Amino acid sequence: MNVIEIKNLTKMYGASRGISDISFTVEEGEIFGFIGPNGAGKSTTIRTLLSLIYPTSGSATIFGKDIVQFAPEIKKEIGYLPSEVFYYDNMKVKDLLNYSASFYKKDCRKRIKELANIMDLDLNKKIDDLSLGNKKKVGIVQGLLHEPKLIILDEPTSGLDPLMQQKFFELLEEENRKGATILFSSHILTEVQRLCNRVAIIKEGRIVAVEKISTLKENTYKKFKVETKSALDPHYFNLAGVNKLEVKDTHTSFLFKGNINEVMRKIADVEITNLWIEEPDLEEIFMHYYEKEA
Amino acid sequence: MRMNILLHELRAYRKSTIIWTISLIMVAALFMSFYPSFTKDTEEFRKLLEGYPAALREAFGINLDNFFSILGFYCYGLSFVTLCGAIQAMNLGTGIISKEVREKTADFLLTKPVTRAAILTNKLLAAFISIIVTNIFYITAAILLAYQVATENFDVGIFLLLSLTVLFIQLIFLGLGIIVSVIFQKIKSVLTVSLATVFAFYFLGMFSSTSGDEAKRYLSPFKYFDTAYIMEHSNYETPFLITSALFIILAIGISYFIYGKKDIHTV
Repeated sequence: MNVIEIKNLTKMYGASRGISDISFTVEEGEIFGFIGPNGAGKSTTIRTLLSLIYPTSGSATIFGKDIVQFAPEIKKEIGYLPSEVFYYDNMKVKDLLNYSASFYKKDCRKRIKELANIMDLDLNKKIDDLSLGNKKKVGIVQGLLHEPKLIILDEPTSGLDPLMQQKFFELLEEENRKGATILFSSHILTEVQRLCNRVAIIKEGRIVAVEKISTLKENTYKKFKVETKSALDPHYFNLAGVNKLEVKDTHTSFLFKGNINEVMRKIADVEITNLWIEEPDLEEIFMHYYEKEA
Repeated sequence: MRMNILLHELRAYRKSTIIWTISLIMVAALFMSFYPSFTKDTEEFRKLLEGYPAALREAFGINLDNFFSILGFYCYGLSFVTLCGAIQAMNLGTGIISKEVREKTADFLLTKPVTRAAILTNKLLAAFISIIVTNIFYITAAILLAYQVATENFDVGIFLLLSLTVLFIQLIFLGLGIIVSVIFQKIKSVLTVSLATVFAFYFLGMFSSTSGDEAKRYLSPFKYFDTAYIMEHSNYETPFLITSALFIILAIGISYFIYGKKDIHTV
């Protein structure tokens, strides 16, 4: 079953572009990444899904229901964490969370305590007095306290220290195991890589690719760096599948896509002092998509 | 009705409601405290006031026929109470939506399972309750004050009718504030906007009453309730009552319409 189904969604801000003709689906139980640089349209898409803003054309459904028509009903089962959290300043953390919980017809007190424990959040402090990171934790607890079936996160990790980020990811994975679907928007690729099954890549308001993380990696090249004893003939590694060949004295580097044995044989034929073979990280794959499109 | 939103809003308004209520009572008390000395030298004051140009007296709402009765004197003070009340109401109205935008809590509230209409209804209701509470305390205090300083008997019914004009004008400015609030969501300073608007209408009212043109009274809510008329007829002027009601209904209706369709942007 598709939890989110987006069909040709377009949002214009006057004459300027928000997002245009976006289509993708998020299946039940997935952790779906939504990546692109700042200003590409991630937040616009998410805010449209939450009917904070309304589409110019196209449509989308969540749990099979139209996002505009059934907005309040859909939101019963959505937990949302915005990139920047701001809450009623003169409230205590606990009061804010209880206020948030009061919108859902279930008893959330136990879950609030659990989440506060995991995230190491003091419920009796005033929101005013919290650091950015702690405010973020309030946001996380606020987004998860009603055990939503769909969790929508818009650049959620800013302001969290690495340790908390780790705990947060574990929390998300736990929610996912319990059956929650997650839409995770980010411009930081390592976190998407770490967490997500599939990703949609967005650029200048359009989706450039929707891929499994594993496929993204499979279909790409490896990075080779070879250090040899003496300088090589610049054309020595010039074979099919080699890209971006760079030779600098005894250092040779290139990208390779194809049968790896061919390269290994070539390497074995020369006297080497050092060798690096690296998987490209998502960033490089991502740049690859961007360059291809440009 | 969503009790949770209503209670949250009421809690948020608590402090300002108390402060405004006390302010309104203080203004009334200040004026009433002058009354005993006024009645002592009635003739001299009358001569002094007669020396002013009629237009100036009109602008300040001074009516020589009844200025020296407790009710007439109260009316004079009432115009300042009304001014303060209008600012309170305009603040409330203007803050209804813009407060969420300014404090950036709109995302919090609008991603909850509630309709925008329900949000607006409960926020409006909270503002309305705040105004009603202010008026209950104000009117009670004003009547007590009047009894304290009055040298002769006065009609409490008329006193009540006069005092209720504060409520009506507040409701008009509440409506005006909401419209401003939904149209210009990014209001930086509510007080600046509401002070400017309220004073603009106040001065507009002053000038329109100097010209004596009946139609111009429709331009400023401050002129909808003529205290001299109320004292004479023990009633309000129906056309202005209808205009007020229509304006309030229209303002609220338009606000629901705009707020239901408006995009909520990040700040």
